[in-house]
Amino acid sequence: MTAAAASKNISQQTIVFAIFVLMFISFSIFLKGFFSAGNLLGLLQNVAILGILGLAMAVVVIGRGIDISMVAVLAVPAGLMLQLAQEGYPLSMALLAAVVIALVFGLINGWLIAFAEIPSLFTTLASGLFLAGLGQVAFFRLDVVQWSTSLDPISWMGRGTLLGVPMPVIMFAVVAVLVAFFLKKTRLGAFVYAVGDNPIGARTTGIPTRPLIVLQYVIAALIGAFAGMVMAASVNSMPTRIFNSTLIYDVILVVVLGGIGLSGGRGGVINVIIGTALIGTLLNGMTILDISYSAQNLIKGIILLVAILIDSFLNPRNEETAQQGDI
Amino acid sequence: MTTEFAPPVLELRKATKVYAGVPAIEEVDFSLRSGEIHAIVGENGAGKSTMTKVMAGVVNLSSGEMLVDGHNVSPKTPNDALRIGIAMVFQETSLVPTMTVAQNLFLGQERYFNRLRGIYIEAQQFMQSLQFDVDPTAVVSLLGAAKKQMVEIARAVLHNAKVIIFDEPTASLTPEEKKYFFDLVLDLKKRGVSIIFISHALEEALLVSDRITILRDGKRVVTDDKDTFDRARIVKEMVGRDLSQTHYGQRKTTVRQQGKRVLSVQNLRMAAMVKNNSLSVFAGQVTGVFGLVGSGRTETFKVVAGIIKRDFMHGGEILLNDRPVRYLVPAPAVRDGVAYVTEDRKLEGFFETKSIAGNIYLGLLAKLRGKRDLVSRREEGESGEHWIKRLNIRAISKDVKAIELSGGNQQKVVISKSLIQDPELIIFDEPTRGVDVGAIAEIHQLINQLADEGKAVVVISSYLPEIMSLSDRILVQRMGKVVEEFSSPEATEEKIMYAAIH
Repeated sequence: MTAAAASKNISQQTIVFAIFVLMFISFSIFLKGFFSAGNLLGLLQNVAILGILGLAMAVVVIGRGIDISMVAVLAVPAGLMLQLAQEGYPLSMALLAAVVIALVFGLINGWLIAFAEIPSLFTTLASGLFLAGLGQVAFFRLDVVQWSTSLDPISWMGRGTLLGVPMPVIMFAVVAVLVAFFLKKTRLGAFVYAVGDNPIGARTTGIPTRPLIVLQYVIAALIGAFAGMVMAASVNSMPTRIFNSTLIYDVILVVVLGGIGLSGGRGGVINVIIGTALIGTLLNGMTILDISYSAQNLIKGIILLVAILIDSFLNPRNEETAQQGDI
Repeated sequence: MTTEFAPPVLELRKATKVYAGVPAIEEVDFSLRSGEIHAIVGENGAGKSTMTKVMAGVVNLSSGEMLVDGHNVSPKTPNDALRIGIAMVFQETSLVPTMTVAQNLFLGQERYFNRLRGIYIEAQQFMQSLQFDVDPTAVVSLLGAAKKQMVEIARAVLHNAKVIIFDEPTASLTPEEKKYFFDLVLDLKKRGVSIIFISHALEEALLVSDRITILRDGKRVVTDDKDTFDRARIVKEMVGRDLSQTHYGQRKTTVRQQGKRVLSVQNLRMAAMVKNNSLSVFAGQVTGVFGLVGSGRTETFKVVAGIIKRDFMHGGEILLNDRPVRYLVPAPAVRDGVAYVTEDRKLEGFFETKSIAGNIYLGLLAKLRGKRDLVSRREEGESGEHWIKRLNIRAISKDVKAIELSGGNQQKVVISKSLIQDPELIIFDEPTRGVDVGAIAEIHQLINQLADEGKAVVVISSYLPEIMSLSDRILVQRMGKVVEEFSSPEATEEKIMYAAIH
C-alpha cells in the first residue's frame, strides 16, 4: 500500500514532465513563433528568475515551511543596491548593504518561526509586507530604481550570454547546482529533509532543529536577494512594485507542481527544474496566444488548486494518522 | 430494581477489535444489567478503553456483536450511540471550552433560531432538576474538573441516555469532589440509568459498584458481584498470568552486578506530572520503571533526556556521572551519551520518507555534528547494513522506506538510530508496544545484551511481564514519584501492582 504511494510519488514527477513535453510539442506545432530560437531563449530568460526563486522556496518547503516574503526579498535588497549606487555609494558598499539586509531579514524570519514558533505562513506574510513597506518608505525615491553605471562590474549576472545561453539561465543553473549540492551532499541538507519529514523525530534524534530552521530562511533570503540582482541586471532596473504582482503564486506553483510535497521532506532540485519548465512553457504559450493577463491568472489559479489537491492526496500530512493504534 | 432475569440493557458477544494486526480486545463477552453500576478494572493496555469506546461508537468492532435491549446494534459514531441511549464521559472532557455551560448542554440540538436567554432558562431548570450547582452562563474553560464533569453528566441525562460510560471519572477530582461524584452516580442509578466506569482506583470500584469485570491482555478474566471481591483478589486477577503463556519469556532469576551510578535524579519537579521524584540508574544493569498511566514515568525521563520543551522543569537536580546537567533540547543530551527511544515511533521516532539506512545514518550525523560536513553514501550504506544485521531487521534491502516496514522492524530501526550514537544511558519507553511476537523476543535479547556490555539501560513499561523478565532493579512510580524499589528476585507481580495503585 505504501509502496504504491511511493511509486505514485515518482509518477507525479513523471506526469508533470510528460505534460511539459506534450505542451512543448503541441505549442511547437500549433503556435506560430513558439519554436524559434529567439522565443525559446526569451522563454528561458523569463523563467530563470522564477526558477531561482523556486529553488529558494524549495529549501524552505522541504523543511516543512513556506516563505511568502520571497518577492519582497527579491525586490528590496536589490532595489536598495541600485538606489545606493545611484546616490553615489561605491559598488562594494551597495552590494554589502543588499547582502546584509537579506541576511538580517532571513534571520528575523527564521527566529520568529523557529523560536517564537509562529507559523511560517503568517510570519512571512507579515514580514514580507514589512520589508516591502520599508523599501517604499525608507529606501526608494521612485517605484522603478534605475541601474547605475557604477554597478556595471556586476552586470554580467544578468546581461549577455555564455556560449549562446542568456546569463540569467546560467545563474539559474549555478544556483540549482549549489542548492542540489547543499541538499543532497551536506550534513545540514540531510538535516533539512529530516526536519521536514518529522520535526519532533528530528529533535529527539538530536538534530538541532531550531538553528536549522533559521538556516533555511537565511538561505532562502540570500537566494531571493541574488535573484533580485540577476533580475535588476537583466532588465536594467528594479521595478519595486513587483511585490504587488502575483509572482509569489507562480513560485509556489513551480514548487508544488514540480512535486515537492507541501508536507515536507520530499522532492529536490530536479522537481523545481521540471516545474519551472512547465510553467515557463505555459506562460509563454499563453502570451503568444494573446490571452489576457486576467485570464492567465484564472488558468494559473486553477492549475495551482489542482496541484495542491493532488499533492494532498499523494503526500497526506501525517498528523491525522499519528494517533492510529491508540488503545 | 435489578432482576436476574431481565435482559441485559447492553451486551457484547465475542467482541474483538484489532489495531494494525494486534488485538486490543479479543472475544470479550460483557453484559450490563439495567440499573447497575459496573466497574471495569485492568492494567494499562488491558483493553478497557477500547471496550468502552466500542460501546460508545468511537471505534467499531472488527468482529463480534453488540446488543442493546436484545437488539443487534452497531453504532458507527458517538452520535449513533447517543441515539440508542449510550453516552460516554471521557477522561479529557469533550466540552467546547469557549462556550457556556448552557450552550454545551444543547450543543447539536439547537433550534434554527437559537435564543441564548431561552437556553439559559431551560438549562437552569434542568440543572436544578438534577440538583447540580453549576451556573449555566459560565464559560466552560473557567470551570473546575468536577463541574465540567457535572456538565457532561447533565448532557448525557439530557439526551435520555440509559447507559452512561465513565472513563477514569475520578482521576482529576479532589477527595470531596469524588464523594460528591459517587453520590451523583448513585442518584443516576436510582433514576434507572445503567453505569459503566473504568477505574484504576480499586477502592472506588469496591465502594460503589454492583459488579466488577476484570480485563487482562484484551480478554475478560472474570465478571462477578462486588461482594465476592476484595483488593487482593482484584490485584491477583489483574496480573495473574501464567508466565509461560506470555511471549515475554521466563522471569529473571539472576541479577547483574551494579556498576557505577550513571544517572541520579533528585527531587525533580515538573508541572503536575512529576513531584519530587528521586531515582538512580546504574551501569551494566536494566532498571525497569513501572507505573500506571499518569504516574509521570515517561515525563521524568523525558526531562532527563531534554525531550520535554524548556521551562517545564520546576526544580530538582539531574546528575549524569555525578555532573549536574540540565538539557533544554535533546541535542546536547545525545552528545553526552543519553538516548531516548520513544514510545510513539510514528510521531517522534522514524523518518517515513527515508530508507532504513537513511534513518540510521541520520542518528550518526546528529551525534557527529561538526565532524561530518558532507554525507557519504558509502558510510550510510555500510552503517545501514551493519545495523540491519546486528538487530536482524527484516527487509528486502537497506533502501526500503521505514514507513513500509512492520511495527517490529520499525522499532528496530528507531533503536538502531539511537544505538549508532553509542549512548552510555539508553532509555526505552515501552520498547515493545505494537510490536509482533517474534520481534519482542529479539528486542528483549538486545536490551539484555546492552546491559551485559555495561550500558545503563532503563526500560519504562506498563506491562508487568516485560518489567519482570528484563529488570535487575524495578522502580515503581505512582503520582509523580518513585514510591517503591525492588530488586528483581524479591519482586512479584502482586507486590508491584500493589505499589502502583493507590
